[in-house]
Amino acid sequence: MSPATLEPERDDDRRAGPRFWISAAAGWAIIGFGLRGIFEKSLDTRPGNLARFVVGGALLHDLLVAPLVILLGVLLARAVPGRARAIVQAALAVSGIVALFSYPLVRAYGLAVNNPTSLPHNYTANLLVVLGVVWAVAAGMVIVRLRTAPGR
Amino acid sequence: MSVKLPEPIQRYTTEHDEPLRQGPYRSALRDERLAAILGASLGILFSICFVTGLYSHVHQHPLSWLPIPARPAGLYRFTQSLHVVAGIASMPVLVAKLWVVWPRFVAFPVAKRASQVVERIGLFPLVAGGIFMTFSGIANIAQWYPWRFSFTASHYWMAWVTMGAIVSHVGSKWFITRRALKRPSRRPALAAADPVLRTTAEGPGEGLSRRGLLTTVAAASGLLTLTTIGQTIRPLRHLGLLAPRDPTVGPQGFPVNRGAANAGVVDLANSPAYRLEISGRVARPMSLTLDQLRALPAHDTVLPIACVEGWSYSAPWSGVRVRDLLDMAGAEPDRTILLESLEPQGAYRTSTLNSGQADDRDTLLATHLDGEPLALDHGFPCRLIAPNRPGVLQTKWVTKVVVL
Repeated sequence: MSPATLEPERDDDRRAGPRFWISAAAGWAIIGFGLRGIFEKSLDTRPGNLARFVVGGALLHDLLVAPLVILLGVLLARAVPGRARAIVQAALAVSGIVALFSYPLVRAYGLAVNNPTSLPHNYTANLLVVLGVVWAVAAGMVIVRLRTAPGR
Repeated sequence: MSVKLPEPIQRYTTEHDEPLRQGPYRSALRDERLAAILGASLGILFSICFVTGLYSHVHQHPLSWLPIPARPAGLYRFTQSLHVVAGIASMPVLVAKLWVVWPRFVAFPVAKRASQVVERIGLFPLVAGGIFMTFSGIANIAQWYPWRFSFTASHYWMAWVTMGAIVSHVGSKWFITRRALKRPSRRPALAAADPVLRTTAEGPGEGLSRRGLLTTVAAASGLLTLTTIGQTIRPLRHLGLLAPRDPTVGPQGFPVNRGAANAGVVDLANSPAYRLEISGRVARPMSLTLDQLRALPAHDTVLPIACVEGWSYSAPWSGVRVRDLLDMAGAEPDRTILLESLEPQGAYRTSTLNSGQADDRDTLLATHLDGEPLALDHGFPCRLIAPNRPGVLQTKWVTKVVVL
């Protein structure tokens, strides 16, 4: 496990060769095609409103969600003992993702009147069931790990 | 560029040409190989979504030079279930990938070479596009529209922007990704002292390992798939705790997206004045009452209703073949037809069938579902049911067949 096992960065990574420039040209041509479509169909796409969601989503992630997750990671590393930490990290990550996905269902934003098909379940209860299963599995794994690897 | 940032901010920035794990970002998971695996997975999932999305787009915006065949009957259902499954599964991968590469976002100076300027500008459509596609797709399947733009048009055009950004990104990360994927998967690189940082990464057993993170991402994707796929795979419906639809809940035990009341057709559909008219380029225009329509030779078939939102069900339908009606009215062979609904307005009140679709033996104006007369919400008096077709184009409450 000497430092030599770390490969140094190679020149390949830094030098932008023809592959870089050809992909960039092709990629930006496709991006241009998409942007042209957005502005051509502006009655449908409402570029101003769309931009608010596209830019807003990125800013929400970059300025709020990502720093919060990083902070949470730091706090977690300090608070949870080493042997349980990986499992708690995993359970928290899965819980966060499932909760984020279920948010519009739990809030029933899309509930249509006069339509029994629309959002047929009790999503609050179901989310709690899923989270309960996640944490039950995590607790089981922590117990097994504490028993099988004592005093590491 | 010799711009200096204020010290407290400077402390959280990174160097472009150093490894991902640097400065305050000490986790062993800030790792090239993880970034490569997650990135390649995202590339595959997004490509699946793009191709299946394009397929649905061509259904809804037919191209004269690329007529969509009526067979295989379940193709649309398969592709759109795949679209939604891959889209949902990509959400945890996207979140993890953004976390792993975070140190690159906060690199300062922003760029040192012309290629880096191009690369970093391209990160904006990449990240913003990826987040938007995932968010808008998940909101749409929950039928949540917190915006004023048209979902279909914006999701479609933003898909091009996002795919373009992916193409450009693949070119800039080609060598590093290949090298990272080739490197044998071993921990020493993580556990060893880093010559740049002169720190040691977390030892094994403390915090998630690389494999642990990948397992976590797979578990999250798997859990979301398991709790939603019941909306399209009937035997798994009891697992569909977070599925926006249940394939057994709805009028006559089958789901509908838009009921008769919301479409504003209740009175028109129940009226004795209802007629099915066959007109346009036909020798003998016809106007049939519901009784006359039901008296025509009926044909049975089992076909799916498959929604672009990823839910679907297969059901037994019965009704008159469209091609029989066209022959009775004396339409020429090789005919394109337009169907019109009783719906007074709405983007989907009409749909067209190319000649291959119109002449398929299973393309019906159905009057019965599962042996019973159609419920109002399923399109009473009659609805189109055809193989390999988006649910939203299986026009309900049909009142006019126009041969174009």
